[in-house]
Amino acid sequence: MNAIEVNNLKYRYHDGTEALRGVGFSIATGECVALLGPNGSGKSTVLLHLNGILPEKTGQKATVKILGQPVTAETLDTVRRQVGLVFQDPDDQLFCPTVQEDVAFGPQQLGLNDAQVAERVGKSLAQVGMADFGRRATHHLSHGEKRRVCLAGVLACDAAILVLDEPTSDLDPRGRREFKALLRQIPATKLIATHDLELAVELCSRAIVLDHGEVVADGPTTELLNDEPLMLAHGLERPHILWHNHPH
Amino acid sequence: MNVSWDHHHGRPGSPIHRLGAAPKLGFALLLIVATVLMPIEHRAWFAGVAGVLLLTVLLSRLPLLFLARRLLMLSPFVLGVVLVNAWQPAGRANWLALAVKSGLCLLTVILVSNTTPFSQILRVLKSIRVPSLLITTIALMHRYLFVLLDESERMRRARASRTFTQRRPFHWHTLGTVVGQLFIRASERAERIYDAMCARGWK
Repeated sequence: MNAIEVNNLKYRYHDGTEALRGVGFSIATGECVALLGPNGSGKSTVLLHLNGILPEKTGQKATVKILGQPVTAETLDTVRRQVGLVFQDPDDQLFCPTVQEDVAFGPQQLGLNDAQVAERVGKSLAQVGMADFGRRATHHLSHGEKRRVCLAGVLACDAAILVLDEPTSDLDPRGRREFKALLRQIPATKLIATHDLELAVELCSRAIVLDHGEVVADGPTTELLNDEPLMLAHGLERPHILWHNHPH
Repeated sequence: MNVSWDHHHGRPGSPIHRLGAAPKLGFALLLIVATVLMPIEHRAWFAGVAGVLLLTVLLSRLPLLFLARRLLMLSPFVLGVVLVNAWQPAGRANWLALAVKSGLCLLTVILVSNTTPFSQILRVLKSIRVPSLLITTIALMHRYLFVLLDESERMRRARASRTFTQRRPFHWHTLGTVVGQLFIRASERAERIYDAMCARGWK
């Protein structure tokens, strides 16, 4: 069964901008896929559809299926449990005064009791290497730390599918390296929208290229990223890691 | 970038800091209500309150200059009322009482808020059954105040780096643009925050 299935997905913003013009792809369970494309190509808009944040009103014709189930108003609760969304700006996601409370937010919404919530919080903070940060104030963390806490907050919900929007933007090289290692350890199905092409090569076996709200390429990551004309035509480039293979 | 805002917690290990949030808030509330209701003739009461607050300041080791700055920051609202009163024939007798009472109340609030972590204050509110919607609103306000302050500081710096004449007259136009921008950014962020909350099951 496919974890994610998107068929002919269209979306237009309030101001009339056509963000998506018939996007379609499917992702098998356990796959790790990169969603590439220039700024404004519709990557984030696609991601927001995967757990029903968009469209504002779910129509009769469901164009997104999660684990075989169409995303509709009735299935929204289940879908949001299954799909964990990590947002691009950690400050949008971390809204509680302390780290602990923020990570606990998801499990609490799931209706777990205090002991279960505490266990999940402890486990997911340890998983991202932030076990000692529970009592810290969220607004005093560094950007890299905020990212990790965001990931912990989503891991605590125990989602089968992880959807990440630009997980390594604004991170320093070490932060990027560590975050990539962290992502690699997580067994969930992953869809990662990113401009970090090295991350795409290292983590994702498959890539989908989006431009002007349409899928322009879908295939093995190295094959697509080695296709220089294709990359340049869609605001991307052949990443350094594919030019010559030695560690920097 | 995190701008460090004028925030001070004195000596975290002091007896005042260690005191539970609930008794501290309860005591402060009592003190404030009693001070507001007490007729100004009872000078001993006001002296007593001032004494207690002074002792608190000394014990918590909050810097005096910081406290004075905070009081000054909050006083325009109070000073406005006091001044209006002082100019009215019937209010002349009142203005000193108003100034003393509001000064003591403000100092109490400043002392409590600077010796108690915000999350503990919220926990107390929750335990006395303040509606959860109100608590969420307060928590969000406190959380994003810093983000918004950071954002305005970033905008200020960016503006300053493109301001080439040192003594440029104050422009209402610029202020208006900045306030408008901040408002738009805040409302857009609010939408994204709400999305992120929904993504984790908020209803």
